[in-house]
Amino acid sequence: MPPANPTTRPRFLGHGVGLRRDHFDRVLSAPTRIDWFEVISENFMVDGGKPRDVLTRVRERYPIVMHGVSLSIGSTDPLNEGYLKELRELAGRVDPAWISDHLCWAGVGGHYAHDLLPLPYTEEALAHVVSRVQKVQEFLGRPIAIENVSSYVTFRQSQMTEWEFLSEMARRAGCGILLDVNNIYVSARNHGFDPVAYLDGIPADKVWQFHLAGHSDKGDFLLDTHDHPVCDPVWDLYAHAVRRFGQVSTLVEWDDNIPTFERLEEESESARAIQTRVSAERPATAARA
Amino acid sequence: MKPEPGLEKTESLFWALVTAPEGVRPGLDELVRRGAAAPGDLDALIDDGANMTPADRLDIYANMYFFRLLDCLKEDFPKLHEALGPGRFHNLMTDYLLACPSRHPSLRYVGERLPQFLVRHPLGGESPALADLAGLEWARADLFDAADAAPLTREHLASLPQDEAGDIHLRLVPAFTMLVLDHDAPRLWGELNDRIKARAAAAAAAHDGPTCLHDAAADAPPLPEAAPRRTRVRVWRQGFAIFHRPIADDEASSLEAIRAGEPLGRVAQRLSAGRTEAQATDLVGRMLQSWLDDGLLSA
Repeated sequence: MPPANPTTRPRFLGHGVGLRRDHFDRVLSAPTRIDWFEVISENFMVDGGKPRDVLTRVRERYPIVMHGVSLSIGSTDPLNEGYLKELRELAGRVDPAWISDHLCWAGVGGHYAHDLLPLPYTEEALAHVVSRVQKVQEFLGRPIAIENVSSYVTFRQSQMTEWEFLSEMARRAGCGILLDVNNIYVSARNHGFDPVAYLDGIPADKVWQFHLAGHSDKGDFLLDTHDHPVCDPVWDLYAHAVRRFGQVSTLVEWDDNIPTFERLEEESESARAIQTRVSAERPATAARA
Repeated sequence: MKPEPGLEKTESLFWALVTAPEGVRPGLDELVRRGAAAPGDLDALIDDGANMTPADRLDIYANMYFFRLLDCLKEDFPKLHEALGPGRFHNLMTDYLLACPSRHPSLRYVGERLPQFLVRHPLGGESPALADLAGLEWARADLFDAADAAPLTREHLASLPQDEAGDIHLRLVPAFTMLVLDHDAPRLWGELNDRIKARAAAAAAAHDGPTCLHDAAADAPPLPEAAPRRTRVRVWRQGFAIFHRPIADDEASSLEAIRAGEPLGRVAQRLSAGRTEAQATDLVGRMLQSWLDDGLLSA
């Protein structure tokens, strides 16, 4: 059965953060300034214990989005049916606002790197990814969103830009796009393209969610480390994204050197302030695709 | 348009290079030596950039691959890390990941095969207790997210007809396992735990002081020397906390019998060999009490 309304952007959830172990007790013990939480799907595909218990209780209070890292949508290995069953079971339990994963491959030959490995942007890869997104959506009975990743290589064989690939994938597969603004910035610096041109090349109606995060400057390249505050150029790019795409659910990720929950809330509030300010500049209508 | 080398070959070469133990360039040399790649394959695959060669760029992925998994293994095997020191732990994990790359979409299972791997690794030969230590640590990690079950309460047990007590089939909670080890790994685990706590306290004190001293002994501590000693251990989760305890043969065989579905009367009967009826009853009572206290039995 094809997913219903594949191009419809899900409802605006507001401003969220990733639910991380360090903050479990804080999130459950008092009210927060956070509108919704995103969870790493694989961390909760478990039979019991604290993570499962916490997720159940957080879900009672907040909307949840499930964000996976191991769907491996671009791998030439067969789709992992056991993984998909666990993902569907988790979705049945959590009732997430939506499910997302990455435009990448995570392993090959039956092995997993637990990393987001880059794809060549070729017609062959596009057809492969589109076909697999469609299969996943049919299996889950719902459309999913696919996120652009930070990258440190480009392939000589690529035939199109990343944003062209992402846009065409979303159009053909009927999936959404999770636009990671920090990843665009990191890849733009690493490969020398214009991040604004990237944003302007994405069809507005396909964008379901934004990600924001910090990165590390390694001198010769930027590394997507999620261990710093969001930097000013990424905030500027986010403002441009809000201008172009309108009101899109936004999430701040912070996965290493994790700060206090209150500091994370501040980062999320900064995103909210930008969205509010930009929205006041003109009616928050999405730009035409 | 450059359709070559195709997605499958691209991923295969990329994977071989980023998981090569010595880095991308030596990995390519090794593939070339084996006839599995040509010297120019990497440069034909990846664009070079202003200051970075294709190998430099791929090395970013190679480092992320290894260090992400190393961090995860350190988290699952903190006592083994303490026993080996950072350098030996790093080298062991390099060997382990080369022999046992992750086969599961979840990072949670990366360390699953480490205890068995250590048995046949030179470090395990040098210090055989290490494999048992790793087995204990993996058992603890594995129960962290095992299925939940409501524990059997004393009240519920007491409410059962006492004249039918012998027919009761007790059930163990899912978050429970037993290990049979060749060394006293629980003792070693305790010593290493004390050492980790002492180091943390010393680090905190040094942080407040004028200098932070480098602890050379922590980098490469003497490997544990433990004489072989058959040790049975029960490992369980109560609430969200994980526990382990060495147990006597009688308790181990009783728990095995319960796990096999034997009724309580049969379990007691097994214990009566060489004991008076009163002694056997007393032993069963004490074991039951301990299992109830620890939440080992499910309702």
